[in-house]
Amino acid sequence: MLQSKTWMVLSLVLTCIVAAIALSQVYGVTKPLIDSQAADALKASLSEVLPGAADFSELEPGTVWSATDAAGNRIGIVFKSTPRGYGGPITVVVGVDTTGRIAGLGIGADMKETPGLGLRAREAWFLDQFRGRTESEVTMKRDNGTLDAISAATITSRAVANGVREGMADYIHYLTSK
Amino acid sequence: MSAPSRWKYFADGIIKENPVLILMIGLCPTLATSVSARDALGMAAAVTFVLIGSNVVVSLIRKVVPGSVRIPIFIIIISTFVTIIDYVLQAYQPALYRVLGVFVPLIVVNCIILGRAEAFAYGHGVFDSLLDALGKSAGYALVMLVMGSVREIFAAGTWFGYAVTPAWFRAAPVLFMIFPPGAFFLIGILKGIVNRLTAGRV
Repeated sequence: MLQSKTWMVLSLVLTCIVAAIALSQVYGVTKPLIDSQAADALKASLSEVLPGAADFSELEPGTVWSATDAAGNRIGIVFKSTPRGYGGPITVVVGVDTTGRIAGLGIGADMKETPGLGLRAREAWFLDQFRGRTESEVTMKRDNGTLDAISAATITSRAVANGVREGMADYIHYLTSK
Repeated sequence: MSAPSRWKYFADGIIKENPVLILMIGLCPTLATSVSARDALGMAAAVTFVLIGSNVVVSLIRKVVPGSVRIPIFIIIISTFVTIIDYVLQAYQPALYRVLGVFVPLIVVNCIILGRAEAFAYGHGVFDSLLDALGKSAGYALVMLVMGSVREIFAAGTWFGYAVTPAWFRAAPVLFMIFPPGAFFLIGILKGIVNRLTAGRV
């Protein structure tokens, strides 16, 4: 019996059924938690770049959000942009206040730039210099702009600046509409 | 079987049959995730869970599993445990998941797990298989801890995130150690040390 062809097929089928049942149970328990973790993480990453924001409403799915403060006043927009860096796409999260100036800049944790070089784009001194700038000012010094690039990581620095600039060009109209 | 020889199933995994340094299996995730002490231990914990689960289940069903389809069945069991730990980490340890995220699915192809299912659990009782899983996991965790610690201390000047080197070192650390060549370099040195220690006895 145990070496028969029928049992060979049946044992595989049974294993798959048991595995599927176990997985669907675990999935059912963890799914709500995973979703709320993802929502919390998203909200935290958005609030970080626009100080004072209390609530966000999505304008374009997963890309642009309108931000309001605790009193319900419109205080700006937050957008996500994914320029191509040296090691793959970089997720850049940008907060823009109602005057069209950058309120804050964040970099997604999934970036794959070189440790010690491009990865330094997460450092505060690099991100802070974007604050208060308008779309036309977001350019590296070596491209006749105003921002300091990370030494030996020009591609990463430029990618971040391009992502910010292109995102502002695409989404800034949301500041005036609605 | 007597108690001392059972103890051997556990103890062998630590040095004598260390999965990484002696059996030389599961090297890819070892090199890739040992960039810091914390990441390394997180990976070791995930591997421990999967290895215990897979060894115990494989041992439980070993008498009814037809030899001709045992490998596909082992793979289903292993990938089920890996998917479970993937969900559980995402739900309860999101910070650790952000670090280990891409490596968790790789546990499926970590040769340590399938290797132990095939070489040990398929031919031994549940308790012995559990001991074997614990021993091999301990050996894996030990290597991961050493590699993660050395690489973090050299490349970042910290250990488990705490500064343990002078500020001048942290300003210009040995970045080389965090790159893949640094991992090969270190595992070569560790292998050399273990060979020296165990010369003629393994």
